[in-house]
Amino acid sequence: MKREWILDKNHLSYWLRQLRNQMQLIAPMRDQVGDIVFKQVEHIHKIELNCPSLLPSVKEFFLPQYERLFEYSKKDDRVVDSISKTKRVIFGLRSCDVAALNTLDRFFIDEMPDPYYKSRRENSLLISIVCNNPDPTCFCIGLDTGPYLKQGFDIQLTDLGDRYFVQAESEWAISIIKNYHFLFSRPQKSDYDDQYEVLLSSKARFQKRISLQQSRQLIKSGRIKDSFWQGITSRCFECGGCVYQCPLCTCFTVVDRSYNDTVERARLWDSCLFKGFTRLAGGILPNEERIKRTKRWFFHKLIHYPDVLESFGCVGCGRCTVTCPGRIDMASVCMKLKSIALNGEEITDEG
Amino acid sequence: MKVKNREPAKQENNIYRPIKGTIERIKKQTSDVSLFTLELEEPVHYKAGQFFMVSVWGAGEVPISVTSLARKSTRIEFCIRRVGMVTGRIHQLKEGDNLWIRGPYGRAFPLELAKGRDVVIVAGGIGIAPLRPLIETFMKRKKYKVSLLYGSRSPDDIVYLDETRKWKQQGVNVVLTVDRPTDGWKGNVGLVTTLWHLAEVDFKKSVAFICGPEVMIRAAMQDLFFFGMPEERIITTLEAHMKCGVGKCGHCYAGKLYICKDGPVFSYKEIKEQSILNLGF
Ligand SMILES: Cc1cc2nc3c(=O)[nH]c(=O)nc-3n(C[C@H](O)[C@H](O)[C@H](O)COP(=O)(O)OP(=O)(O)OC[C@H]3O[C@@H](n4cnc5c(N)ncnc54)[C@H](O)[C@@H]3O)c2cc1C
Ligand code: SF4
Ligand code: SF4
Ligand code: FES
Repeated sequence: MKREWILDKNHLSYWLRQLRNQMQLIAPMRDQVGDIVFKQVEHIHKIELNCPSLLPSVKEFFLPQYERLFEYSKKDDRVVDSISKTKRVIFGLRSCDVAALNTLDRFFIDEMPDPYYKSRRENSLLISIVCNNPDPTCFCIGLDTGPYLKQGFDIQLTDLGDRYFVQAESEWAISIIKNYHFLFSRPQKSDYDDQYEVLLSSKARFQKRISLQQSRQLIKSGRIKDSFWQGITSRCFECGGCVYQCPLCTCFTVVDRSYNDTVERARLWDSCLFKGFTRLAGGILPNEERIKRTKRWFFHKLIHYPDVLESFGCVGCGRCTVTCPGRIDMASVCMKLKSIALNGEEITDEG
Repeated sequence: MKVKNREPAKQENNIYRPIKGTIERIKKQTSDVSLFTLELEEPVHYKAGQFFMVSVWGAGEVPISVTSLARKSTRIEFCIRRVGMVTGRIHQLKEGDNLWIRGPYGRAFPLELAKGRDVVIVAGGIGIAPLRPLIETFMKRKKYKVSLLYGSRSPDDIVYLDETRKWKQQGVNVVLTVDRPTDGWKGNVGLVTTLWHLAEVDFKKSVAFICGPEVMIRAAMQDLFFFGMPEERIITTLEAHMKCGVGKCGHCYAGKLYICKDGPVFSYKEIKEQSILNLGF
């Protein structure tokens, strides 16, 4: 079921106000130090509508960096779980973020559902915005994960200047639009034309053309020797920045914290790039060699993710490109692989 | 069956939620290994080769194999070696204290492979824990010829020493060996993999179950394969760092597979094909 409407930009604020009355509203906002991040909205007029494409991913809202799983009360010997049921609407996220969540759904919900993720997901409505101005680091276009989604969204808005072209897919999304039907009108032929033009112009603006498929084939062909990965590894600072920024990196660890009367069992983000990640009893480190960890990260995203979940472990958001101090982000490594494919040799210096 | 009042179907709702067990008995095995018998607040259905996440609130959770005979019961046993933080805290507990568990997780041992064949069981150290219910199952079913090759650090480190005597009486060919003998030790000395000649089976026609330190597993698998045992009948259970047990935390990731949910029991064939853990097989 796909429905399309037009929303006059003058009505946006009223619509969001109404939604905020019913549930938590999260949107791009400036924080205390002036960065634009996703935050709970108090003043609608403070939403950053014209922010850059790339913001910190919304992963935090589905798999928080620190999340309490249980609270154990020592006195009553009882365990209470803290599954969030807060209804939320997340406004202004990008296509790549929505695509990433769709992949995570298969990982977290399809087999042995993770109740924390599932509940957050089921209680969140996503209103994503098509990117008219992709950032120089974006490469979703080669992956069909942006700048525009053909499917898999709740509500998708395309900015047509004075109005939004609105598409809704899920039932919840459609009902939310129908409740405010007086704000929405039927699209005319000119709206479709304008939308098409916006998409064409957006597509033309991409600076990066990266093919993960090609990288995957190349790795599978066996032509990429360990010396290549050794070179990549030598540039890794083991900061974990790529992992924390990536909307598709989900590894976590679990800790117990004791307080006077209670114990909190919580999970927090972890990184497979850290040496201790696979530590065994007695201090044995199966992945002590750094190259193993580098390969693990890339192979997971390029080989195993598609094998198991039928999509790459990367949506081309370019966040790791911005973050990585060693310039061994997904895009850079794929570019290097491509030059091997083209030149039939390994390029080890700046790619 | 003792099922106390509680909210219904806890574990179905939340895969991470542990249930409470009360320690009925602690039987010391060696200086750092004890057998814990628990009575649970609700029954669990487990099989040999599977494991549970066992926890003490405030210390954390660790994966521990089932060491009692497969069944559906409120009774379960874990044989736990003290090696670090969590296992250290578990060893401070007394009878009547609580352990919390969730599971069972992972694949069980493929018992059907043993049908009509001789069985070789190779254990190293605490690796005997998941193999105990296997041996007992074979003894209960009576028609199996079982050889157990079991290596320990020293005679004082032999876990389930009493059981090995009982198994011997029941007809198991029990071969014990130690790395470092003490005075009075009359048995074998050296690695289990030097004792194949004592196994008394035709390796080509048997099935093997192996558990122990990784170096031992690797050597044993290679030897048995060399002796002509088909690789799909060489079975082991692997250890990995585990934080969730249900394929979510990523810690036990090994290529396409997660040791926790796709294992921990694997055949040599699978280990080779999936290059699990880059073991260098
Ligand atoms: C499937 C499986 C079955 C097991 N069965 C048994 C058994 O029957 N009996 C037994 O004595 N031991 C068993 N182990 C090993 C046992 O889980 C570890 O000895 C235990 O986790 C060590 O925890 P610790 O906190 O005491 O050690 P520490 O070395 O202090 O560990 C510190 C941290 O590392 C983590 N860690 C270390 N080693 C492991 C590990 N192997 N798996 C997961 N996390 C680890 C701990 O969670 C902890 O957070 C099994 C392991 C696995 C994977
Ligand atoms: S690997 Fe990099 S570009 Fe790909 S989704 Fe993760 S952060 Fe974005
Ligand atoms: S990667 Fe694509 S969808 Fe994501 S922010 Fe960039 S242009 Fe938008
Ligand atoms: S233990 Fe968490 S994925 Fe296997």
